[in-house]
Order: sequence, then structure tokens, then C-alpha cells
Amino acid sequence: MSKNINVALIGNPNTGKTSVFNQLTGLKQKVGNYPGITVEKKEGICKLPRGVKAHILDLPGTYSLNTTSLDESLVVELLLNKNDKDYPDVAVVISDVENLKRNLFLFTQIKDLKIPAILVINMADRMSRKGISMDIEAMEKKLDTKIALVSTRKRQGIERIKELIADYKNLSSAPNVDAKRISPEYFERLQKTFPNEDLYKLWLVITQDVNFMPIEKKRIEDVTSFTTKSKEELKKLQHKETVLRYQFINNTLKETYKVDFLAAKGFRASLDKILTHKIFGYLIFFVILLTIFQAIFDWSSYPMDFIDEQFALASEWIKNTLPPGVFTDLLAEGIIAGIGGIVIFIPQIAFLFLFISLLEESGYMSRVVFLMDRLMRPFGLSGKSIVPLISGTACAIPAVMATRTIENWKERLITILVTPFTTCSARLPVYLILIALVIPKGTILGLSYQALTLMLLYLIGFGMAIFSAMILNKILKIKSRSLFMVEMPTYRLPLLKNVAYTVLEKTKSFVFGAGKIILAISIVLWFLGSNGYSEDFKNAEQIVNDRIEQEGLSTYSKNYIQNNIDAYRENALAEGITPEVIQDSIQSMTHDLRERAEAQEIASYKLEHSYIGQAGKAFEPVVKPLGYDWKIGIAVLTSFAAREVFVGTLATIYSVGSDEEETIKTRMAAELDSSGRPLFNLASGISLMLFYAFAMQCMSTLAIVKRETNSWKWPLFQLGFMSVFAYLVALLAYQILI
Amino acid sequence: METVQHILVYLILGMAVAYLVYKFLLPKSLIHGSKKNSKGCGQDNCGCS
Repeated sequence: MSKNINVALIGNPNTGKTSVFNQLTGLKQKVGNYPGITVEKKEGICKLPRGVKAHILDLPGTYSLNTTSLDESLVVELLLNKNDKDYPDVAVVISDVENLKRNLFLFTQIKDLKIPAILVINMADRMSRKGISMDIEAMEKKLDTKIALVSTRKRQGIERIKELIADYKNLSSAPNVDAKRISPEYFERLQKTFPNEDLYKLWLVITQDVNFMPIEKKRIEDVTSFTTKSKEELKKLQHKETVLRYQFINNTLKETYKVDFLAAKGFRASLDKILTHKIFGYLIFFVILLTIFQAIFDWSSYPMDFIDEQFALASEWIKNTLPPGVFTDLLAEGIIAGIGGIVIFIPQIAFLFLFISLLEESGYMSRVVFLMDRLMRPFGLSGKSIVPLISGTACAIPAVMATRTIENWKERLITILVTPFTTCSARLPVYLILIALVIPKGTILGLSYQALTLMLLYLIGFGMAIFSAMILNKILKIKSRSLFMVEMPTYRLPLLKNVAYTVLEKTKSFVFGAGKIILAISIVLWFLGSNGYSEDFKNAEQIVNDRIEQEGLSTYSKNYIQNNIDAYRENALAEGITPEVIQDSIQSMTHDLRERAEAQEIASYKLEHSYIGQAGKAFEPVVKPLGYDWKIGIAVLTSFAAREVFVGTLATIYSVGSDEEETIKTRMAAELDSSGRPLFNLASGISLMLFYAFAMQCMSTLAIVKRETNSWKWPLFQLGFMSVFAYLVALLAYQILI
Repeated sequence: METVQHILVYLILGMAVAYLVYKFLLPKSLIHGSKKNSKGCGQDNCGCS
């Protein structure tokens, strides 16, 4: 019979913990949250030798069990609570071969909790390059554990980890450092008061700064026969503990770990000098950003065009195959258009996360964090604020959650309030379609105007976040600042499997997270666009036919027919067809085109008098000064639920009643304003992009901000301030550019 | 046939509306129960505890 055991993967950040987790669990993993809090919980299943099945829990990265953030206190809480369902039977401590000394600090702490622990030394492939040699057997003896030398990059050593986990009962639970040595008299008293408790566990409960286990702590404080030392005295004892641990680690490594520094010097130091240089560092980062945005536009245009055409064909196919009726219309014009509005952006989102993931995996992102810290300090932001701001390019929700690592509450609040300005992936579809419509295709110094515009929008978002932080910093009067510390991991070639996981995970969360909302809104919009209560809606056909009879077709329809005829004539002449044949074809073509144009005019009239049309018309005066019509107004309004709904909304609105196989882009490009000019022109396009750059249009983010600040005051402030600011900027841009 | 199509449309519309209400309008405490989070981030005034 198979046996289940709990395994906790613990380690310092950047030790390759996630890679070990991925290789142990493969695809048998799930990502969720710890109950009641917003820290990510990654767990998976791994089959081990001798029929043992392990439930693997990938704990948040931590440098020690002396906690400073919620992520870290969660690790400690689990390791101290034997009643927790995830309490580990065995702890697998992941370390990095180059930073073993620092990594062993955490290992010895876990060992002292008397949890069977295995030491995994990762990145073994770098040993020879870095001049490192180790005596593993001697190290095992010194640390009283079993060691697995692993290279996740080369997929070496994973089987050894599995064997050691399966054999966990043979591991020693003896501590590395005797806690009594910290203060013999104090620990003696502690032991006497709580004879059945583990000393080091008690010590951790007493010394933690965070209030993560109020009941346990209270239990100790309530025992009158035992008095806890003052905070200062406890701090001194903690320092003593640190010294004792490093003494033990130094003694262990002195005999078992050697580095030939002559062999190790060079590359990393010189690269760091350039990449974090005051001038070149920023220049390189700027060039990398440019390359990314250029690539997003160039590479993804082919799959995007393909997807767009396929959805147009699918819509057409449904209309031609299924029996005519409202359900067929819903499928073709609502559901297919809605899904198309989501799927079309998969290539760009995948490319964006591919690049972000490559930068993170290579170790460059930490240099960027360091570099940007220098730039941001004058604006009153903590260095740690940069991580949420960079995460914000993916989604503001995890970014707002990531602010929990910022200890200072005011700094954290400022970061929460400004993070939604950074360009999240939901804004990307809006920008992409608008840029493609209104920004010309030319290039400057080999870089396309479109890519430059996209990059500018990202920089505007980031700039606005910093500017707002500066203002908030003055208003909120921050008195203290937290210490900025960032680890510079070694440069390494990105592990393709990890990159692939990230891209897949982020794309999936966009498609299935935002996608469901977009689809639901598309369905509701289709219904509101296909139904109406007014007489005008009910008698649309009659009214439009009468009007055409009296006044003829509209200018838009006349242009539509003429453009199609001109295009046909040009192609036919190029193919060498005789003018007589062309003339005959044009005659029969004109009849068809006129019928289509009449149908379009009826559909357009119906839409204008449908429920959504009525609502849009009522809202139009508000958005008219920004250069938008009632259709864009509806898209803006629905976007307040989630920004990514914009394109789907327009796709649905423009699809209602349309019989033609047209892509979203061509439909939007064909829209004319009341004066007969394209509706999506440079002025309205820029105005719209700026509105989306600054407006707070994400209900989920507002909900998270409410949860993180425990008040409606801040999310409402954010909503009001950002929306008013966005409106004013968009208004200004349109009035200047028109 | 037309009636069936109408029924299907209203069914899907109902599902879409219900999903949006669930996602945006229904208070989270109603969905997950009003379990109080006992974990804090270490700040006295951050409101997360």
C-alpha cells in the first residue's frame, strides 16, 4: 500500500527552489493561496521509490526563521505547528552552491526544530567554473544530515533527492546548535517552565517580531513563574544566536568547502559593473525595453492576424451552417466575437511574459531593481516598492499583494495606491488595437513608431506612478524608511522549462481569469445590442427602407460600395481581365453590395435604438468632448469592470447584425464620425490610450486594495482620483490634437 | 425551433448575468463565509490582521 508523506521545500530566495519543485512534481502541481491570506501556495505530488507518495509544498523563500514579512512568518508558523495538516515529515532545504554559508543559516535553524532535514546543494554545474570543491561525505557528518548535490539546469541529482525523501526515517533529528548555549540560565528556566516543549521552538515564539502566533505567545507570557526578558535583552541573545550559528557553519565549511578564488574571478563582477552603471546601466535597460516592445509588435502580428481571420471564418461558418435564429446570432455575434476578443491577444501576452521571465531567470531583473532603486529614492519610494511596480506590468492584483513585503505601512500604502498606474497586461490589448489603428507604420532608426508608442505608454504609466508617489509622500508625510536589500543572483542561462511554465501560467490566467468576465460581458452586451423597447427599434427595417427610398444611401454606404468596386477593378485590371467583362461584373456586384449596405444600415439603426444604444446615447455627452461616440462610450463604461473588456465590447457591438466576414480591426477602421472622418483617428486614439493609461478600471484591483487596506476609503480615493485625472488628460490630448 | 433558440439564449444570458453578479456584486463574505483572518503582517495599523 502506498504511503503519503508531507515534504516542505524551504530555502533562501534565488536558490532554484521552484526549479527543484517543478522537477519533482512535473505537471502534478496546483497553485492557490494560503487560507485567509494572499500568499501564494504551491503544492504538488511526487512519486518516490518504494511506493511512497510525497505531497510537496513549495514554501515562500526566506533567509532565516527570524521573520520580517508575512511570507516568512508563514514558513515559521508551519514549521512550529505540528497540528497543521501540511506540517512536514521531512524538510528539504534548498541551497545554492555559491552561497552555501548564508544558506546554511536557515538549514541549521530548521534542523534545530528537530524536523528531519535534507540539504540540497543546487547549481552544482557551476562548481568547476567557480573553482569550488566540496567533501560531501564530511559535510554530511558535520551537519548530521544527508546531502543531495543537484543541478536542476542539467536535471542531475533529482533522483537522489527522491531517494533521500523516501528514506527520511533514517535522518537524524538532532539539532546542529544547542539552544542552551545562547543563554544557559535563561533556557534552563524556560525548559523548567515548559518541560514538554521544544526549547528552540519556544525561543522562536518568544523572539519573533511579527504577531503570527498570538495564542502561543500569550501562553508563554501568561505563565507567571516565567518572565520573558526585555526586548533589548532578547535582541542581544538573538545576536548571540547568530554568532553561534555562524561559528558552527564556519567550522563545518572550513574543512569541507573550498573555493579557488583565482579560478572564480572575472565575468560576474565585470558584467555587474556595466549593467548597474550610472549611465550605461540605464541605457542598456532602455535598449532591452525597446527590443522587447519591437518584438512584441513584429513577431506577434502573424499569429494575431491568423487568429483574427479564423474567428471571422468561424462566425461566418456558424451563420451559414446552423438554422437561422437568435441562438445562432448569439453564437456568431456574441460568443465567437467575445472569445475572439480574448484569444487574439494570447501571442502578445505570451511574448511579454516570455521576455519578463527571461530577464528574471537570467538574474538581470535583480540588477534592474537595484538600478531603479537609485532612481526612485528621491521620489520617496522604498526600494522594495519596485518589485510590486514591476509585477504590476503583469497584473495589479498580485502586485498589490506583493507589497506585503514592505514593512513600513506608509510606504506600503503609497505603493498600493500607485501600482495600478503601471501598465498591466489588461491594458495591452487596448493599446495594441488602438496603436495599430491610429499610429502610422513608419520607422525611425529601424524602430517602428508603433513599438515606440507602446513603450512610451509603459513609461508614462511608470512615470505617473512615481510622480503620484512623490505627491502622496508629501501628503502622507512619511517619517521612516525601510532598509532596501536586494540579492544579486549569479547570471545564468534561463532554464527553458521554467520560462515555459511562467509563460503558460500567466497566459492561462489571462485567458481563464479575464476571459470568463469578457465572455459574460460580451453575451450581456450582445443581448442588449440585439433587443430594444422603442418603436424605432421594432420598426427599424421600415424606417430605414423609407429613408433610403427618399434620401438614398448614407455617405458611409456609398463610400463602402465605391471602395469595393474600385478595389475589384484594380485587381481585375492587374489580372488582365477585359474592361467589358469588368463592367458586367461590376453591375452584378453593385446590386449585391447595395443589398449588403442596406442590411448594414438597418443593423446600425437597430443598434442605435437598442437597449445598449439608448444607454450609450445617454452617456455620449460625457465622452463626446474626448472624441468618442456612444459605441466607444459603452466600451469605456463596461471597461470599469475590467479594462480588457474594451476590445471584446467593441467587437461585440460592431458584430451585432453584421453579415460580413470582417476582422475586429477592419470594422473599427471603417467607423466614421458625424463629419465622415475615421472615428479612430490620431486625436481620439491618443485620447483613448491616455484615458486607459490613467483610469482605474479594474473592480478586482479595487477589491484587493480594500482588502489590503481594510478600508473603502483608499480604493474609492484611487477610483475617483485616477478616473478624474484620466478624463482631464484625455480631454486635453484630444482638444490639442484635433 | 425558434422557441428552443429563445430558451437557449435566455439560459446563456442568465448564466452570464449570474456569473457577473457573483464576480462583482456579491459580497465576498457571502461566498466564502465571514471567517476572520487572524494573520497580520506585523504592522499595528496596516489593517491586514
